Amino acid sequence: MKHDVQEWQVIKRLLSYAKRYGKPLGIAFVFLLIATGAKLAGPFLVKVFIDEFITPGVYPTNWVIALFTVYMVLHVSAILFDYLQSISFQKVALKIVQNIRMDIFRHVMGMRLAYFDRTPAGVLVSRITNDTEAVKELYVGVMSTFVQSAVQLVGTYIFLYVLEPTLATIGLVLLPLFWLIIWAYRRFSTKYFAQVRDLLSQLNAQLNESINGMGVIQQFRQEERLIRQFEQTNEAHQEARYRNLKLDSMLLRPIIELLLAFSIIGLLGYYGVLSMSEQVQVGVVYAFISYIERIFRPVLDIMQRLSEFQQAVVSADRVFKILDTDEPAPGKQMPGVAHVTEGEVRFDDVTFSYDGEVDVLKNISFVAKPGETVALVGHTGSGKSSIINLLTRFYPYGSGKITIDGQPLGRFEEQELRDQVGLVLQDPFLFTGTIEDNLKLFNPNIDSERAREAAEFVQAHSFIEKLDAGYGHVVGERGATFSSGERQLLAFARTVARNPKVLILDEATSSIDTETEERVQVALDRMRRGRTTIAIAHRLSTIQDADVILVLHRGEIVERGNHQQLLKQGGLYKKMYELQSGQSLMS
Amino acid sequence: MRLEWKTYTIGIVLLIFVAGLELIPPRIIGRIVDEINRDSLSSNTLWMLLGGLALVGIGNYIARFFWRYFIFGASIRLGRMLRSQLYRHFTDLDQRFYKKSRVGDLMAHATNDVQAVSMTAGAGILTLVDSVTLGTFVIITMITTISWKLTLVALLPLPFMVLLTTRYGKMLHSRFGVAQAAFSELNDKVQESVSGVRVLKSTGEVERDVDAFENLSSEVMAKNVRVAKIDALYDPTIFGIVGLSYILSVGYGAVLIEQGELTIGQIVSFTAYLALLTWPMLAFGWLFNIVERGRASYDRIERMLAVKPEIQDDRMAATTLSHSEVEVDVQSFAYDDHTVLEDVHFRIERGKTIGIVGRTGAGKTTIVRLLTREYDVKDGKIKIGGINIRQVKKSLLMDKIAVVPQDHFLFSDSIANNIAFGKPDADMEEIIEAAKVAEVHEDIVRLSEGYATLVGERGVTLSGGQKQRISIARALMTGADVLILDDALSAVDAKTEESIIEHFRVGNPEQARVIVAHRLSAVEHADEILVIEDGKVIQRGTHDLLLQEAGWYRETYDRQQLEAIVEGGGHDET
Repeated sequence: MKHDVQEWQVIKRLLSYAKRYGKPLGIAFVFLLIATGAKLAGPFLVKVFIDEFITPGVYPTNWVIALFTVYMVLHVSAILFDYLQSISFQKVALKIVQNIRMDIFRHVMGMRLAYFDRTPAGVLVSRITNDTEAVKELYVGVMSTFVQSAVQLVGTYIFLYVLEPTLATIGLVLLPLFWLIIWAYRRFSTKYFAQVRDLLSQLNAQLNESINGMGVIQQFRQEERLIRQFEQTNEAHQEARYRNLKLDSMLLRPIIELLLAFSIIGLLGYYGVLSMSEQVQVGVVYAFISYIERIFRPVLDIMQRLSEFQQAVVSADRVFKILDTDEPAPGKQMPGVAHVTEGEVRFDDVTFSYDGEVDVLKNISFVAKPGETVALVGHTGSGKSSIINLLTRFYPYGSGKITIDGQPLGRFEEQELRDQVGLVLQDPFLFTGTIEDNLKLFNPNIDSERAREAAEFVQAHSFIEKLDAGYGHVVGERGATFSSGERQLLAFARTVARNPKVLILDEATSSIDTETEERVQVALDRMRRGRTTIAIAHRLSTIQDADVILVLHRGEIVERGNHQQLLKQGGLYKKMYELQSGQSLMS
Repeated sequence: MRLEWKTYTIGIVLLIFVAGLELIPPRIIGRIVDEINRDSLSSNTLWMLLGGLALVGIGNYIARFFWRYFIFGASIRLGRMLRSQLYRHFTDLDQRFYKKSRVGDLMAHATNDVQAVSMTAGAGILTLVDSVTLGTFVIITMITTISWKLTLVALLPLPFMVLLTTRYGKMLHSRFGVAQAAFSELNDKVQESVSGVRVLKSTGEVERDVDAFENLSSEVMAKNVRVAKIDALYDPTIFGIVGLSYILSVGYGAVLIEQGELTIGQIVSFTAYLALLTWPMLAFGWLFNIVERGRASYDRIERMLAVKPEIQDDRMAATTLSHSEVEVDVQSFAYDDHTVLEDVHFRIERGKTIGIVGRTGAGKTTIVRLLTREYDVKDGKIKIGGINIRQVKKSLLMDKIAVVPQDHFLFSDSIANNIAFGKPDADMEEIIEAAKVAEVHEDIVRLSEGYATLVGERGVTLSGGQKQRISIARALMTGADVLILDDALSAVDAKTEESIIEHFRVGNPEQARVIVAHRLSAVEHADEILVIEDGKVIQRGTHDLLLQEAGWYRETYDRQQLEAIVEGGGHDET
């Protein structure tokens, strides 16, 4: 029962999307009514033809032509409007799906980074595309089938009443029978269907895991055991499908056909008995048989769509779950307007934790004066990246205060912050498109001229020029064809094109080919000129001229000073420096 | 597929039987209508005819149930069988095969392809038999029992239906392809946006990315509308043409009635037959599609099943060994043309530990691959128990040599079952013992469910070090004579590593060990250490001996000491 309630809620929510399309839906519905009416008039006209002309054997030419003309007009309009209603419904359905897709994409992209850290990319992609695709099937196929079937059913009964009210009333008995069959079918098929689906995904999971772990399986010679396990699931899956098949064979098409056969028997019995006492028009019998057959088709259509319908509801539910997950990016939280003017960055006693338990940053305080370079060093897990994650407002910080030009971080508009605080990522994720697209990155304010200047400025110009099509070169395989140094230069250019006042550098850990290394150095120097720079450095050689070097260890600043001062201190920095410059303790 | 011929035969016979039965009701209906029209219906005749209809209806229901059961059942079983075959086949293939193949492709065989084949075997066969027999039966009945002239006239429009729907099919196919391509582009776009979310957020371009998504997504919609435009043609077309046939049969039928050739009842029967013909006409276009796909998939499965493992047991292979001492004598070994090992000679003796160290790519793992016969040495020999491993049954070799690989893989199962993976009947004490030796017992007990904790994809996330130690415990359970750790301690901290290695020495004095490592502390206590560079042994000896030589070993040792200090925060903790 609880399951039903939830299902109903999902459907209600799906339908609420349709509200926006009241007018086109109304038009589509009118088309549907016309088409159904025209379609259903056919047997009625044949009935007239049989009873008025064939039976008595008189064919007044004018009347025959008139009847034929009416029939053809209705026939052609039935064809036309049937097409129109179908296409109108589908168009609306596709628009609705487009809406849902936009909603979920916008929603996901607005989430904070912690959400992306936690949720595998594959899952998000699958929600945004595959699940909405399943919802599309629901709208395009299922819902329109339901509406069309219902209209056809009602229309058919109306015609039956016109023909013969008594018999039509008796025919109403069919409705609870239909309801019973659909109810019974749904009741069992929901369960069996879920079983089949679960077992299939279990089967695939087992297969996937076995393929991935085949080395281990073979090493420990457990092939036979795992084959047995797989066989078990495989067999269970087969059993479940058999149960499903039996149900389908019993309750789907065959029972509808059986019911149809008995309805016809009833119909013929009625007229047969009637004919013994009074005159019966055979045309009516003909029309009735035609109509009865048309009552059954929509029911069958609905039943055959039920499993698809359930599948789509499950998908829709998953989509809505994501839409209901509310974890927006920190964003602007305080009133007031703040601008980055000079670019002074200040951390004041900042403590931060990702999970609320372990502090990854403890009481961090430092100032980067306008134009200064502050370098962060320390081994993996020391807290360098966390400092950057806070300054870029990717994560909300716990206690303490972060300010730019004296203004708290939470007071800046998103666009202001992104324009003025430029982050150069370790991995300059390259998007599909040309080099120029990747430098502009959708931003219409950056023209080709500016992109090119940025590339020249960071010395990326020369290698870009050498590519075929130059700036129009299409980046393949996410930029795997470029060397790590070249990728760095592109990341530099991307940031420089935006001309931020504060620069955040996350230096690549991977070694850079010596050829580009020099250019990267020059570019770094140039970029830093006139900008406040916070740099994570893996190679200490690159930050020797930094104004302040902060040495982090386990979330704390353990040493601070410039290169010479730190070397003199003879602490952690000195050891790191020795390690990197290849001097060993022994020598 | 041939295995199921019996069930298929029964199913098909039933199907033909149903097709035959379906011919009866229209005749009875026609007869009753005529009797009503002539006012000659007696209640006896009526009940007899209706009884006949009821019998046919019930008979039809039963026969329909069973042919479905037989034909679709056979296709379900075929699917299961193919899946089993594939799975078994996958367990036979060696690691070389897996290195070359992508998991997704292998999965696709067992999912999409099996499904397509089974669909062909079920729905495909059904459609074929049904449409051909029913179609033929109906037309023959129309011609023989009613009127060949009427049949000819009424069927005139039907070829157009076949023509049009085939045409739509082609258009739909190409438009659908375009829509699919747009959809997969959208998929790539989302993939990219989600993966590149950091860049998008840091440059403040999220909104514009959403706009770009909107463009793509609208394009997908537009292309789907194009599909819908064709898709929506089917029903009206069928309705239109069938309606034309109806009006032709009623109109021309009236002429024939006037000429005294037919009765009204026959016209009614005739239109009922016409209704039966619609389906076979439609089915044909659909059928080719299914069969085409099924055949392509079946070929792919066949090709996959034909792949043979590259290393197979010699027919005369040894099934027992007197002892498990290993002698490695490799003159040279190359992948394709690229030589990776040269002049590597060493012995693995009972109770002794061999350490193998060197830079990444020096050839350390290749040595392990040769020991487990992932590859065969051509120029040189590896012997176990005095017999060339090429003449030893592979399963026996696996029993004697246990490898803990670099990439630890755990199954979605409890920790206990993962540890007992190679020995499913082991009792809890054994499992705990192995976990203790691998220094992971404490970690496991601290988990809320202890040894019953589920790991793997759907279970708890363990650290790399914990996973590595569980893999070690798993290898220890088998009690193999030779234990190879292929850089299997890289994520374990130095202290734990030391105690694990100490446990080994004390725990099983009979076992020989090969420790391949990056960190030299792992091999400090080895009886012999080989330093590999560019596939050659450049230094060998004990730890103390190697420290006295100037060379790679001593340089690396010093460097790693310093690294340990830096990681410790600059304090000399050693």
